[in-house]
Amino acid sequence: MTPRTTRTTRDTLPPRLAEWLLRHLLPNDRQSDVIRGDLLEEFRRRTSRAWYWREAISTIFQEHRYRNMLTLDNLRQDVRFAWRSYRKAPTFALLVVATLALGIGASTAIFSIVNAVLVRPLPLRDPDRLLWISEANGRGDVISASWMNYGDWRARAHAFEGLAASRGSTFDLTGMGQAHRVTGRLVTWNFFQTLGTEPVLGRAFSQTDERPGAELVAIISHEFWQRQLNGDAGALGRPLTLDGHPHTIVGVLPPGFRYLRSYDVFTALGTIIGEPWLADRGNHQGFVAIGRLRAGVTRDAAATELQQIEADLTRAYPATNTNISVVVEPLAARLVKPIRDTLLVLSGAVGILLLIACINVAGLLIARGAARQHELAVRAALGGRRGRLVIQLLVESTMLSLSGGVLGVGIAAALLRTLIAMAPPGTPRLDEVALDGYALAFAVVAAIACGVFFGLLPAAQASRANGQQLVIRTRAAGASAASHGLRRGLMAVEVALALILLTAAALMMRTLVHVTSVDAGFRPDHVLVANTSIPEAKPDPPRRTAILDDILARMRAVPGVTAAGAGFSLPIDGSNWNSVFWPQDKPLPPTHDGLPSAAMVPITAGYFEALGARLLRGRMLDDRDTAASTPVAVVNEALAARIWPGQDPIGKHLKQGWPEGKGVWREVVGLVADIKFEGLTERTTLQVYFPFAQDPPADFWIVVRTAVDPASLSTALTSTVGAVNRDMPVAGLRTMDDVFGESIARQRIARLVLAVFAGVALTLASIGLFGLVAHSVTERRQEVGVRLALGASRTSIVRTLVAGGVSTAVAGIAAGTACSTVTAKSLESLLFDVKPFDPLTFTAVAAGLLIVAILACAIPAYRASRAGIVGALRTE
Amino acid sequence: MGKPPYLGEFEQQVLLVILRLGADAYGPEIGRELEARAGRRVSRGALYTTLDRLEDKGLIRWRTVPGTEARDGLPRRLYAVTAAGLAAVKAAHAVVKRLWDGIGARLKDPLK
Repeated sequence: MTPRTTRTTRDTLPPRLAEWLLRHLLPNDRQSDVIRGDLLEEFRRRTSRAWYWREAISTIFQEHRYRNMLTLDNLRQDVRFAWRSYRKAPTFALLVVATLALGIGASTAIFSIVNAVLVRPLPLRDPDRLLWISEANGRGDVISASWMNYGDWRARAHAFEGLAASRGSTFDLTGMGQAHRVTGRLVTWNFFQTLGTEPVLGRAFSQTDERPGAELVAIISHEFWQRQLNGDAGALGRPLTLDGHPHTIVGVLPPGFRYLRSYDVFTALGTIIGEPWLADRGNHQGFVAIGRLRAGVTRDAAATELQQIEADLTRAYPATNTNISVVVEPLAARLVKPIRDTLLVLSGAVGILLLIACINVAGLLIARGAARQHELAVRAALGGRRGRLVIQLLVESTMLSLSGGVLGVGIAAALLRTLIAMAPPGTPRLDEVALDGYALAFAVVAAIACGVFFGLLPAAQASRANGQQLVIRTRAAGASAASHGLRRGLMAVEVALALILLTAAALMMRTLVHVTSVDAGFRPDHVLVANTSIPEAKPDPPRRTAILDDILARMRAVPGVTAAGAGFSLPIDGSNWNSVFWPQDKPLPPTHDGLPSAAMVPITAGYFEALGARLLRGRMLDDRDTAASTPVAVVNEALAARIWPGQDPIGKHLKQGWPEGKGVWREVVGLVADIKFEGLTERTTLQVYFPFAQDPPADFWIVVRTAVDPASLSTALTSTVGAVNRDMPVAGLRTMDDVFGESIARQRIARLVLAVFAGVALTLASIGLFGLVAHSVTERRQEVGVRLALGASRTSIVRTLVAGGVSTAVAGIAAGTACSTVTAKSLESLLFDVKPFDPLTFTAVAAGLLIVAILACAIPAYRASRAGIVGALRTE
Repeated sequence: MGKPPYLGEFEQQVLLVILRLGADAYGPEIGRELEARAGRRVSRGALYTTLDRLEDKGLIRWRTVPGTEARDGLPRRLYAVTAAGLAAVKAAHAVVKRLWDGIGARLKDPLK
């Protein structure tokens, strides 16, 4: 470091804030100058800013204590005085409290969610060392890991203490009253050990549980144990029939355990370990891996090692592994990925709202301070010490903000309930969200900070009052003009902030309009859907078809049902089976990577009719298509355009699976309009539909079109399924409109919150502008009277008065638009078909805000001009 | 004049330093002298309230003089000990002196 040779400004000027506090908070004016001089002189000798701060604070406090200003008695007196003055001006007090309650309430609610979902560490041992590992295809889409590739990672990687794999699943639980579906995961034996948790009752899985033919075992969650088995201590060893297979319960997990989300049951891989499809390296079967880093190994080192191994695998197995890469992310980050952007946008929005609320309150307090200048001047002239007056003003503002805080907590609780109810299904860690100690602490700190910070500014302003003003009482005099300038500055900032929120809300609204006008390829109204499955110990395709036919026949007989069908997947909800396929009339690509992939959907007759899908060419699938008939398929437009551009797809042939595989060639008999399978905002996938009977899955969605309110047939559907087979669980029973709603929940919640916040911001900004102009009108009433008397026209008076407020608003709008170009970018991941810098949105918002601003300013100005000469002059 | 008021230890030290500094007794000088002679860190807050208290007791008085450039022209307060202050210091000193009488020999070997 070079020695300091010259004195910098930092050395000669003390900390500005400390100096400001000294100037305004010392009880005695004259002594204040002396003390500031003393401290300044010493500071210049010592050049220690820390010293200055320490001495400034100690001096302020000690002086107040000596002057008996910080006594309980005084405080009580201040509180009583404040209470009385608020009762005299209840509108002012209510306005301030309501504004702060909104700001504090909204920010506390959002803070609770952000804290639970993004900030609080996962409830696992050393969660920082856990990595989420999967694979990506050539297009960069994250896909699940291939079991064989995982096996090689586990055998070769040294960076991990443990490397486990698991696969989400649902199980049909039977043999315990009414059959129902439970959530679960198939996991490798070291899964719990890697995550860093162990059963509170019984044992974790062991390596022997994973051998082919091993006894099937399950570990259940604490919640499932309580709910399903009444917390029975003898639960260990009891049988649990999952998907028709008897499992033995060997362990109960600790309460509150969750991995990605909460699951009811975990089973060892014994059920599937010997199956041939697991040994297919090119098949990514839904597994994701979890790695626990060895102590001292960094994430990057682990990722590099896995990438190395993956590269070796590509060389060794080019047919299946070309263009496949490994994806490594911290587990915590992966967990919250779907909701992270939304939450960050909401936090930003709520921060802005709180700021607007505080600015508005500061504006109100300054205006009130200015209005009370006379009172304060009288008190100062009668010997009221300045510090004492400042403290009293601070007590007043803190009282308001604490009341706002208390009310805010109530608002936060209500808002939190609404937001949780609206959250997209599957939002991670939502069950951990609560208005807890942290949130309350946040509210209290926010309230006190608002009170002190925004009480200080007006307190300092108002306390400049001195005896002189008592005598002169010139309204346009120094202090008032200064306070007006300060308020104008604050108002410009407030307008800018409101514009940022309005722009964000407008962008989200346009997004929602675009999303809801997307053509989903079918008619979602009047459709009821439910997922169910046939429990069976061994696959029995003919029985599956028979059971499903029975259910559908009964449903079609229900009054109000116009069509019923079933399929392996449900539109919007996502395809449950994606597979490569190959058209017969095309040459084979050199590697498997070049094969097209499509959603494969076995469907029954009536599926398209119930959905209201549009047939473009050929025919729908119907009763002609049985297990024994010619293998056929219906494809969507996207597939036809990609595989047979410009040609008629009818009569062509394609085959699901690898070209050399045993799949059958299917004849294309129909072409349907694209159906949005993966959600409204996702690109349309290629789709192949074929007869259910020709490859019946045990698990399917029933789709029913109704002439009546679809929800009213829920019971009919459940009881029909139960009547056919009481071991068939019914899950996901809802209307197609609900499915739509859930799929755009992220955008809807962002739109709702932003719209509410923007509305509040707009209201606050209008009130602020109105107040600003009304205040300046009051101050200039005499001037207005004189001008009118001298022959000025009303219009010119109004114009002058409005111009002040509008110029402030224009400055704010300009600044806000500039800021919005930056902030709108953070919305990008939530937008659909709208650019963050959408010129139409930006212009419309700015124009709208300007109109509101002009109105807010014009009303008080117009009223002033109506007061007339006599009225305006009467005040003197 | 009645009995001189009781002086706390710090009050006594401040009065003595003001006497010692004579015409130069103002805030920073008093603080510096106290730190140098009494060997203690003096919080400025404590110093100003002590000066306030001594003034309220009538033991010191002050006059304001214009400030120097080193303090951006802010005024200085020059403190002086009043007659009552002088009496109080003297009384305090006398008390200490009486208490010290005959102690000297004991200090050499306090156990005898």
